[in-house]
Amino acid sequence: MKKIFFLVALIILTGSVHAQNKAVQIGQAAPEIALPQPDGNIVTLSSLKGKLVLIDFWATWCAPCREEQPELKAIYEKHIDKVKAGKFEILGVSLDKNKTHWQQSIERFNIDWLQVSDLMFWKSPVAKDYAIEGLPFNVIADKQGKIIAVNLHGEALADFINNYLNKTE
Amino acid sequence: MRHFFMLFTAMLLTGSGMYAQQKQDPWTADQLYEPQVLADKINQHQTDNIVILCVGPDALIKGSVDIGPTQEQGNIDKLKNYLKNVPKDKEVIIYCGCCPFVRCPNIRPAFKLLKDMGFKNPRLLDLPKNIKMDWLDKNYPTSD
Repeated sequence: MKKIFFLVALIILTGSVHAQNKAVQIGQAAPEIALPQPDGNIVTLSSLKGKLVLIDFWATWCAPCREEQPELKAIYEKHIDKVKAGKFEILGVSLDKNKTHWQQSIERFNIDWLQVSDLMFWKSPVAKDYAIEGLPFNVIADKQGKIIAVNLHGEALADFINNYLNKTE
Repeated sequence: MRHFFMLFTAMLLTGSGMYAQQKQDPWTADQLYEPQVLADKINQHQTDNIVILCVGPDALIKGSVDIGPTQEQGNIDKLKNYLKNVPKDKEVIIYCGCCPFVRCPNIRPAFKLLKDMGFKNPRLLDLPKNIKMDWLDKNYPTSD
């Protein structure tokens, strides 16, 4: 009896995690991203090869995403030397529709890492490419562009990046 | 030990944490509108008797009217203005689809306005996760 309950609980707990990441798995190459910055210039993920890249999928209409921006800011500032040395970058990919809202949030949160968006809301092809089922969502790609972490948040995210960058000192 | 697992499982299954939130929602379960039903109506051009209003970031559903996110007072005013010319017995379906219902800032003020204005058939399109998972991924009709 005990075993059955344990099994049920386990299935429920793990089921939702597996569902999220069907198309985006650790060890795979991160799908290419080629999207415009607010000024219209296209940034590609492949141009960031050689760096550890945190790809942050967010939107201004997503409250938990907004709450996470100061945490990303703290991570970025902590590792600003690595950023300057070309070893780390954050690529914010917004699923916004409204460009004004997007730009205002970039200013409000004082975001100085890369920001791109096609302003297509959930219709953005990038949502399909990364099989995103909800926001916030993120992927960490290593310097070869290979996915090494999926959807880490809070301390787990900060620790993962700390450990990786310290290890590759 | 067994009791612990029973309790744990029961909590997971009933989602007791969500219950308090749902109790405060302005809609009832039978006011939720099945996406498949709406998709069929749109595909068969049988939408004369319904009004489909987007109260979120983008009116992705074919034939829907773009009101804008109703967490903003300006868009609530826009919705109010639009509804002035709609008969009260018309079936009015609203949707947002940005986020799971529990986190969406737009559907509650919009639905409340429908009720306050005396609409007899207010409906909320049942997109429990978001419009990608519950509409786009199912290849239901979109606006382009």
